[in-house]
Amino acid sequence: MFKLLKKIAGRKKRLKPDQSKNTLTEQNHQKEQFISAQIEENLDLMNEIYQIPHNGDVKIRELKLGGSGRKAAILFISSIADVRTVEDSAIKPLLANTRENAGIDEIIATQNVTAFSNIKSLVENINLGNAVIFLDGSTKAFTFDCANFQGRSVEKAESEVLIKGSKEALTEKVIVNLSLIRKRIKNENLIAESMTISKRSHNVVYILYIRNLADEKLIANVKKRLASLNVDAIQNLSLLEQYIEDRRLSLFPSLLYTERPDRATSFLEDGHIVLLMDNSPDSIVLPATFWSFFHTAEEHYLRFIFGNFVRVIRMVAMFITIFISAIYISVTTFHTEMIPADLLLAIAGTREKVPFPIFFEILLMEAAFELIREAGLRVPNPMGPTIGIVGALILGQAAVEANIISPIVIIVVALSGLTSFTVSDISLNFALRIIRFLFILSAGVFGIYGMTALFIMGLFYLVSLKSFGVPYLAPMSPHYVSSGDTIFRRVLTHENFRPGYLKPVDIKKKGDGAAK
Amino acid sequence: MKQSEGKIGIRELMAIIMLSVGTKLTDDTPSILYSTAKNSAWMSMLLIGIVSIIPVFFLVKVFSVHKDKNLHQLNIHLFGKFVGNMVSFGLLLFGFTALVLDSATYADIISTMYFTKTPFLPIYLILLIVCGYGAKRGIEHIGSTAWLTIFYLKITLFIALLISFLQGEFKMIYPLWGPGIGEIVKTAGRNISVFADFYYLGLIAPLVSSYKSFKKGTLLAYLIVAIELVIPLIIFVMIFDFTSIEIMQYPFHEMILYISLGFLTNVETIFLPFWLIASFIRFSFYLYLVVLLFGGVFKIKEFEFLIPVIVVLVLFSGLAPKYGEFTIPHLREFFLTTLSPIFFGLPCLMLFIAKVRGDFKHEAAKESH
Repeated sequence: MFKLLKKIAGRKKRLKPDQSKNTLTEQNHQKEQFISAQIEENLDLMNEIYQIPHNGDVKIRELKLGGSGRKAAILFISSIADVRTVEDSAIKPLLANTRENAGIDEIIATQNVTAFSNIKSLVENINLGNAVIFLDGSTKAFTFDCANFQGRSVEKAESEVLIKGSKEALTEKVIVNLSLIRKRIKNENLIAESMTISKRSHNVVYILYIRNLADEKLIANVKKRLASLNVDAIQNLSLLEQYIEDRRLSLFPSLLYTERPDRATSFLEDGHIVLLMDNSPDSIVLPATFWSFFHTAEEHYLRFIFGNFVRVIRMVAMFITIFISAIYISVTTFHTEMIPADLLLAIAGTREKVPFPIFFEILLMEAAFELIREAGLRVPNPMGPTIGIVGALILGQAAVEANIISPIVIIVVALSGLTSFTVSDISLNFALRIIRFLFILSAGVFGIYGMTALFIMGLFYLVSLKSFGVPYLAPMSPHYVSSGDTIFRRVLTHENFRPGYLKPVDIKKKGDGAAK
Repeated sequence: MKQSEGKIGIRELMAIIMLSVGTKLTDDTPSILYSTAKNSAWMSMLLIGIVSIIPVFFLVKVFSVHKDKNLHQLNIHLFGKFVGNMVSFGLLLFGFTALVLDSATYADIISTMYFTKTPFLPIYLILLIVCGYGAKRGIEHIGSTAWLTIFYLKITLFIALLISFLQGEFKMIYPLWGPGIGEIVKTAGRNISVFADFYYLGLIAPLVSSYKSFKKGTLLAYLIVAIELVIPLIIFVMIFDFTSIEIMQYPFHEMILYISLGFLTNVETIFLPFWLIASFIRFSFYLYLVVLLFGGVFKIKEFEFLIPVIVVLVLFSGLAPKYGEFTIPHLREFFLTTLSPIFFGLPCLMLFIAKVRGDFKHEAAKESH
């Protein structure tokens, strides 16, 4: 009885097409069809696929060819296609045509016209912003390029700011990004392979590499990882990054994320692979080493000494960020003998009325700093400076006067917070901020001993990390042939080699004494 | 470029040797030497350095014809299955004892010199946990870590020694011959096993990228380490003079307590982290060797999984003698004396057997083909 009821219900369901056509498989099935010679049938099918007229921006223009009087129809999505091109280069010539048996490709005045006979490719083309022409009596439909997605124009780089060097940044339009990179590498061997990585939204990723330079195995490995994705939608590179990285729970990033086309280009020229996507104002560089996160583009644009000076400052800043709070805790709690007597008295004097242990004091202030930082990032623009002043000055001052915090702690925490900004890469920046707390904890428990134990464990961990098969601290250890661009950089004319850990096809990038 | 998975290069090898043998100057090895050779301990050390080259060289020589074997496999190859296994087992016992005694000594240094209020157990526990983690990462990463840190460690050591040298009194090394040549030679003979670590290096010989790197790296590092051990022995005497140095257990740490740097009167906490890093790497390496040998002797392929077990064993063995306050230094002295003839004799025996078996001729024949 129950089964019977179910059968009847099922039959009813099958009779109602609207309800069952929403699944992905049925949609795909619909697209498997071929174009019919009857234009009405084609248009009906398209109406169904695009749900016209519910879908407001999908437009169909029906017309009769001027010469033969055959029925034709042009279909496009007006929000992503350039309407002017469609009107001027397609509709106008079609109507004005006088020859009786002229082919579509002879009438249309666009950069290319391609004929398709299956619905699937047509739909793909329309979704990419192209227009399709159906012709009565023809089992082929014609598409031409007229995509025009809206987006920003090329603007200044905002998170990787330089004083000397190019100011351009990548934008959300992948075509623009490709153009920015091709502007820098005028070589036919720069390949931009495209690959669809998601099932529903059809997001396309571009794999850029230089043929005869990048390692074939590496390229194959990247393609394999991208092809193995089984996801409905991956909107942009920040999300893609988390799908393809080596260790998803690791504190350290393994893919470099840069918004500067010049940086991406120099990595390409060294044999790295760059990924680009629509909707991402940045590129992913892989494989990435620790050093690539530590560097910025400017150190190579600045002269040798200046560039290395910046590197020294950044290295010192990194150490201060990670260690200074922890060192303050361990020295004042465990190793007081090493502080000169006068300073010790000064510290003791300021702490006279503070009721908390130093460990707690530092933790409190570091947490407050993180709060101010996060809040400062999220507040609407006009209020930003106010938050900074309220947070840093008033809060700090008041905390000291209320005897909750000693003034030296403010200095220590301000220093550790300020120096963390010298690392421009956001992933490494986060890693350092979190590591700082780990060190504070270890210093609170075991002083210098605990810090050193954590440090050496961290180092063991760091050297064992790999990004697409490349050791994280290469080429420093394990050693590889390279230009030795690690903590310091060499004189530009002596940076003769591409990094050996990438196994580039051509390891040498300059003649000896490149500028004699 | 040529490096393949799991192998270390000459840089990493040298860094490991320099850290694991070089740190001996910071533990109670100097005081063992000072106890008998008095202020001429450096001469004993020099003598040890000169004499030890023989077994080290022999060992390297034997490996020239067995490039793909490690020490354990070589033992089986040379001595036969039963005796070879027994030799390796003996080596394992010695290695394990060395690991226990040395790590307990180091934990003792930390607890008596720097963390006097902290109980011994947590200090020892952390030391072993960190080293267990390092050993689990494998030789490749121990090597990389050693190479990344060695310059900073050696520079700070150099600075400490330089300051001590400047603050010391050169005249104190006299009388030059100390307790007499006989005593110096005897001390050297008893403690020749200071360099016994080099024998255990045979265990990682096939893990070095090429035999050439192994040979060059070992010999070069040997030279550096020998010098590195002799000079501080002179400097310690220059600072403390011979009567006080005999009763000091850890002269290096007394030294960095003693010296001052400008406005900083107590600088030992500045040197402490560097010394700790060296010690962590050293015991990671020792632990790795012991586990590797254990896996070899008992035919356990995935020996990394033994590390937690060995760590626990070391922890309890290391804790036991602690309760007899003065036992560890005595045990260490006894241990060094016992190991000395073995360290000197085994490589000679191995070379002799290899010669008798005609391994060298085979190799020559193979190469000429």
